[in-house]
Amino acid sequence: MKSGIKTGILLVAIALLGMAPAIGLADHHEEVSNPDLKCLKCHSKNLKKKLEDGEKMSLRIEVEEFGSSVHKVIGCTGCHRDVAKGKHPSKQPIASRRAYSLKHNQTCSQCHEAAHESYRNSVHASMVEHGDDNAPLCSDCHSAHAIQSRVAYEPVNGEPCSRCHTKINEAFEQSIHGLARSEGNLIRGDHVQAPSCTGCHNSHDISAVTDTDYLVPTCISCHEVAELAHEQWLPNAGMHLKSVGCAACHSPQAELRVDLQLYDRLRQAPVRQNENNGTVQETLAAIDTNGDGLDPVELWKLVRQINDQEEVSDITLLGRLEVTNSVDAHRLAASTEAVRSCESCHRSDAEPFQNVTVSLSRKDGRKESFKADRKVLASAMSVDSVGGFYAPGGTRIKLLDGLLVLAILGGLAVPVVHISLGKILRKKKQPDNS
Amino acid sequence: MTTSESTQQPHSQAQERVYLHPVPVRIWHWVNALGFLLLILTGFQIRYVDLFSLMSFETAVHLHNWVGFAVIANWFLWFFYYISSDKITNYHADLDARNFFKRYFDQAQYYSFGIFKGEKRPHNVNPHDKFNPMQKLTYQFVMFITAPVTFFTGLMMWDVARFQSLISMVGGIRVVNTIHVLMFILFVFFIFLHAYMGMLGPKPSSHYREMFTGWEEPHE
Repeated sequence: MKSGIKTGILLVAIALLGMAPAIGLADHHEEVSNPDLKCLKCHSKNLKKKLEDGEKMSLRIEVEEFGSSVHKVIGCTGCHRDVAKGKHPSKQPIASRRAYSLKHNQTCSQCHEAAHESYRNSVHASMVEHGDDNAPLCSDCHSAHAIQSRVAYEPVNGEPCSRCHTKINEAFEQSIHGLARSEGNLIRGDHVQAPSCTGCHNSHDISAVTDTDYLVPTCISCHEVAELAHEQWLPNAGMHLKSVGCAACHSPQAELRVDLQLYDRLRQAPVRQNENNGTVQETLAAIDTNGDGLDPVELWKLVRQINDQEEVSDITLLGRLEVTNSVDAHRLAASTEAVRSCESCHRSDAEPFQNVTVSLSRKDGRKESFKADRKVLASAMSVDSVGGFYAPGGTRIKLLDGLLVLAILGGLAVPVVHISLGKILRKKKQPDNS
Repeated sequence: MTTSESTQQPHSQAQERVYLHPVPVRIWHWVNALGFLLLILTGFQIRYVDLFSLMSFETAVHLHNWVGFAVIANWFLWFFYYISSDKITNYHADLDARNFFKRYFDQAQYYSFGIFKGEKRPHNVNPHDKFNPMQKLTYQFVMFITAPVTFFTGLMMWDVARFQSLISMVGGIRVVNTIHVLMFILFVFFIFLHAYMGMLGPKPSSHYREMFTGWEEPHE
């Protein structure tokens, strides 16, 4: 009997000891379900797992974070289904932290199908697909266990985008949009909310710059009167809105360039590196042998060669005047500060025409630029290769200047020669008459 | 303007004077002259904004566009006048090419030497055949090729977005601009020659006066 009482006391003691952590957790996070408390019993401790790449991955879950996450309702096994089968994966090897995150990227799609589909079409997913280990996965933006509601991801302070795009976010915060968010919209009124990152770039289907029309339609979707306003003073407004990025004028301190994008007219898309043309760098190196940037003849050869590499293609160069870097693209100013002087771009010595690049899309969709000689914009050789870009005055062809000078000199020479001839002939005639 | 009207002659100079340039032609000519001068001036300003500052680039472009449309409209005045008049013969092609180029060569010889020796003009003007072979070929080229090509390329550059598909068919905006500028260069050369050859009448001012009065002045 005595031993029975002792055994009973021991079992109660063991049970109480076993429950102690769970009771402690439950005290602080009453909403965490019992099954999850079982997981957290171990995972609230500083457990670590040695990965195949040698790194030790922490298995600790911040109870407070998980308790306040929106995912607490689905519980641990909502995502970690392999545990639900009663097979705790503690013995299963994990190659690396990245590999584990990649595996769980698919887990999210089981519930968030639409968002994941959008993500799959994004430049981020494309970077993942092409092996970029810095490309963001679901958990990089949303965290693994502290997942918040949609409202929390409205990137008021640049989060989560600013974790990778830090400098861009700093520029944005000082821009007209950033200041309107932080200090109030003084121009359009506080009832109009200035865009955050997702306002222009979307949250999941984020496009590469080369695959978009440089967000001009996005800008116009809020600035509805922009087209009309430009048409009222800007000659060829439609063409300008197409071939000049908004930031080129509306980010007045930005460094500018002309980018000649290799573009496939048949596919209506930028040339993207693939198995057939994957040697663009080699082609470039073979053409630009001295590495000083593509000159007009070299550029002409490049377009020819890429056309030859592609089985069915019509490759051309689409010219565009744009800001040199993406940080400047976010330094947007008030419209009163925008560049309005035509001369700033239509002079042959204008800044954008001194900095010329040729670009194409990498396999992951991001832009890859190569230096080109500024002469490519003013050479007769470029009439064919750079047929799609011309800024009157600014990129005029020097050979035509020479022809114009000849026409003027010829036009002046004809009367001078004719009058002189007349004088000579009249002088000859006079002695005969006498 | 009828044939009888165009051949009417003043009493005192019945043998020498011919009514060569009817009113619509004179209006067209001087509007065209003013238009082309403005187009050349604004064209220079647009193309060489880093060298000239007669006006702002923006003003030059707007003026160039408006004057361009006026000159196009004026071309149609010229076209419809001639096509509806018996004076269209002035622009008829000469089907006898051998004869035409012989006369062309005679005219060139006259301008080179004969004019200074007091030789008689090889081409006798009349209201239905007022251009000598050199003038005829030049004006046919200017009015039926150079001017329309300049108008079309100018229109395309006036609104690139609107004419984008047409521009792409031609080979791109740079091709269009190159053609436009080549035409501009031809016109600059033509203006010099035209202004000078206008002084080769009986008196240096004769042909200029003719373009105001319509009456040809007597040659000695």
